[in-house]
This record gives sequence, C-alpha cells and structure tokens, in this order.
Amino acid sequence: MEDLSILGLTVAAALTATALILVPGVALAWGLARSRASHLRDLLETAISLPLVLPPTAVGVLLLALLSPQGLLGSVLNRLGIQLVFTWKAVVIAAATMSFPFLVRSARTAFEEVNPRLLDVARTLGKTRLQVFWGVALPLAWRGVLAGTLLAFSRALGEFGATILIAGNIPGHTQTLSLAIFHRYQLGKDPAALRLVAISTALAFVAIWITEGVSRQRAKRLLT
Amino acid sequence: MISVHAELPLQSFVLQLELQMEGSTIALLGHSGAGKTSLLELIAGLRRTAKGRICLDGDVLQDTETGRFLAPERRRIGYVPQEGLLFPHLDVEQNLRFGAASGDGAKQRLEEITQILAIGALLRRYPASLSGGEKQRVALGRALATSPRLLLLDEPLAAMDHELKERVLPYLLRVREAWNIPMVYVTHHLEEAKALADEVVLIEHGRVIQHGGAAQVLGPAIRSLLDSGGSLENLLDGRLEGSALRVGSGMKVWVPASQSAGERAVFTVRPEDVLVSLRAPEDLSARNALPGEVVAIHEIGPDVVLRIDVDGFEWLSKLTRVAAQQLGVTPGVRVFVVVKTHSFRRLS
Repeated sequence: MEDLSILGLTVAAALTATALILVPGVALAWGLARSRASHLRDLLETAISLPLVLPPTAVGVLLLALLSPQGLLGSVLNRLGIQLVFTWKAVVIAAATMSFPFLVRSARTAFEEVNPRLLDVARTLGKTRLQVFWGVALPLAWRGVLAGTLLAFSRALGEFGATILIAGNIPGHTQTLSLAIFHRYQLGKDPAALRLVAISTALAFVAIWITEGVSRQRAKRLLT
Repeated sequence: MISVHAELPLQSFVLQLELQMEGSTIALLGHSGAGKTSLLELIAGLRRTAKGRICLDGDVLQDTETGRFLAPERRRIGYVPQEGLLFPHLDVEQNLRFGAASGDGAKQRLEEITQILAIGALLRRYPASLSGGEKQRVALGRALATSPRLLLLDEPLAAMDHELKERVLPYLLRVREAWNIPMVYVTHHLEEAKALADEVVLIEHGRVIQHGGAAQVLGPAIRSLLDSGGSLENLLDGRLEGSALRVGSGMKVWVPASQSAGERAVFTVRPEDVLVSLRAPEDLSARNALPGEVVAIHEIGPDVVLRIDVDGFEWLSKLTRVAAQQLGVTPGVRVFVVVKTHSFRRLS
C-alpha cells in the first residue's frame, strides 16, 4: 500500500513537472532553432544545459539558495505566505529543473530538422509566424517534441540529488521512488527496497519503450 | 511595375540590382547561382537583410531608409520555389487549401485551379509520391489559391532534361489566359522565355547584364545564354487544325496527328532536327518545307546555329560548321526549313 502511494506521488510529481515545462520548453526550443547565431544564444544554451552536466546536488544547493525562506525569491514568496522548500511543490521544481534541458534540446533538434524554406513559403502564402509554427513547424517536428517530452518525464521520475536537498525525504509528502529506495536500503530493508526497484524498472521500461518507438518512427519518416 | 534597387551580400558575391520591370511576363535568365532565386526571394520578402528599396505597383514593399519592411504574408505575392516545397505532412488538397481564403468564391477558384493545372487526380496523394513536374504544378496551384497580385516562379533545373511532362510552360500559358496575373519567372529554356515573356532580364554574378524585350535580348545573346546554361529549342505555340498546327504568326506546320482540333498546343523541335535546303525539296518524305530567310549565324563550338525567319517565326537550325560552309549559307540567303512531322514533340 505504501509502495503504491510512493508510486502515485512520484508519477504525479513527474507529470506535473513535465506539464509545467512543456510550453516554455517548446517555445524556447523553437526560438533557439530559429534565431541566428549570437553570443546571447550561446549563453542561453549553455545556461539551459547546465543541469545536464552539474551534479544534481549542486543544482539542489542553487535551488535552495534561490527558494529557501532566506533565499532570493523564497524570501519574497515567504512574505506572501508561500512555502516551497520541503513540500511536494519542491519535488516538482527539482524535477522540472533537472528535466528541462532534455525537453529543450530534443525539441530544438526536431525544429532544426524542419526545412526553413518550407516556413518561408508558408509566410508567402499569407501565414503569420505563429500560424506557421502551428501549421507547419509543429506538425513536422511533433515526434521530436514528443520524444523530448517523454525523455524529460523519465528524467523527472528518477530525480534524486536536487530533490533530497530542497524537498527532503518526508514519507507521504516528498518521498519519491528514488528517495524511498535509498532510504529503505539504508535502513537495511532490502526486500522492500527491491520491490520499489522493480516498480521503477517497469515504469522506466515503459517510458523508454515509448520514447524509442517514437524516435524510430521519426527516423524512418526522415529516410523516406 | 516592379522596381528593385537592392544590395544583398551572397556567398561568393554581392547581389547588386538596379531594375525596373514593366512587363506582364518577365523571364529571368542566367547561370545557376547568378542570383536569380535571390531576386525572387527579395521580392517575396524572404531576404530581410537586403539593403535598398523594392516597390510593386507604387506600393513600397521594403525601404531601408524609412525602415519599412512589409512582412511576406502581407505582400500578396505568390512564390513557387524550384523544389516546389510542398508541405510533406499535408496531401495535395490540403496543400492547395493551405493559404486559400474560405468561402464560396474560394471554393470555385480551387476547382478552377485544379482543372487548369490538371491536378484533380492527385488531390489525395502526398508530396513524396509526386513527380517533379506534378510537385511544381501543385506548388503553382497553392500559390494561385491565395489570389496573388504577382507570381514568382522558379523553374527547376531538372526540367532541362527533356522530360516533356515535367515542363510547366503549357500550364503557365493556361494560367495567364485564365487570370492574367503578372509573373516573373526563372527559366533555362531560351525559346520558352521568348514564347511567354514580353520582357527578359539576363543576370550574371548578381548584376543585370541585359534587359529588354524578349526578341531584342534573346536574339543577339544566344551565344552567351547558351554558355550560361540555357537550352535551345524551337517552341511552337498554336492551335490545332486537324493534324496541322497554326502558329500565332500564321505559319502552319504538320504535326503528329491528334484528336483535339481547335485546342491550344505547344510543340518543341530540337534545332538539330531542323534541316536546311537551298531549293524546294522534291520527293522527300518530310512534310514540312517552309520557305524563309537566314537572319543570323551563331558559331557554337564545332557547330553553327542558324536563325531562319519564316513568316515572322524564327526557326533555329543546328548544323555542323562544315555542312554550313558547303551549303554556303550566310545572312540574307533564302532557304527552305525542312522538318519531319515526327520531330515535333508535344508538351504536356
């Protein structure tokens, strides 16, 4: 029973995190794909990719500096009565931050694969930039965007380092699958930990299976 | 009227154009990579970095000095790129409808377009399954569906291969008849330019090197046009009368039999299939023997191309230099143009 509630909490947090980053992530990916090379773009790209290379715990410390009640943003929120750190919201924020680059990079590649001349032609046919995005770019890049979304979701499911720092490990509140596995193992409850490992494996398997399937279809379409 | 005063740095040179085009059908000729496509894109509004001033019928499309730049979607200029560039995720009908207005008038226009361009059978197909010529026709239809005030057309180089079905000319003639939209089009067929265009612009290395009426530019420039990758042929645009074709100038030639009397048809004959005789040929199987006069001789490699005037139609005949010398043809000599019926090949 406890296992199921941990699973539920994990999936809900990962889904919320993915939903949260979907629109800004896709918009940013589109902007990066269509913008001309500049230092500003390079800077932005590097900043977005930081969570990919930084130790997740380092990201956690940075988030803490930002969101703790003494933090830059956290102090403001605190005055408004909003508490983020060590709540379920912090789990979502940690997962969103860590999975954001996966979505942006994958979607960006998909948008870059769309022939820019097709977008030009669409403009001459009377369509605005936004209409061209919805009518041409997104329909042609959707598989890559979807693959990126699933990848981001998978990353969110397994988030550990940043989560434990800003959300703690509170059973029933912020304890996700990966936190619970670590916790149970430390307490020597190996069989209980293994049950969660099995659940995680099944979940990851399904997520990756779908991602791969979508990517394969995309590759096949590009070849024809 | 289109006026272009623009500067645009391209990869290997700077496109520098001072051009005032007043014709209703303007042909652009020149090497591939001479800047023809860039000029079309400039007019369509796809080259924002260009400097200068571009106007269409008194409407300022772009002016660097005042900072004006009319977005491409507001120019009402139809662009048919070389590759067609159909939307691969949409079928032919959805491609046609992409930029079309909605309503009854639009529906009727789409039906007309489909019929005139003979693409009715393709509506459910996807671009990946179309031939080059079919793609080009659908792209033309897609542009026409937006009711443009100007049509920009980039003929694919692939149409140079003598694939008659791939040629877009017969459809352009029909489009001009149906809607009378001014067009600027890039072509590699010199005689096509002559048949369709009333104004010809020759571009090399990003600059206009010749500009004027079709006959005026094409006649003297045959040599340099051939050097720049143009293709030479005799192009006869006329109406069928039984198994004869009546060309605009009044000349009548025998062509392969067809069922469609009174219909407009376009035929081509290669210059090497046009023979020249000093006397009226007798006992010859070729049915076309037309009296004319040599207007000019162009030396092209080991061959010569004769331009022969027959009732106002100018034939091109390609002979070896030796044959021309033995025959003693010089400008002003009266000759007979001899063509076998089966040397005529119909477009579309």
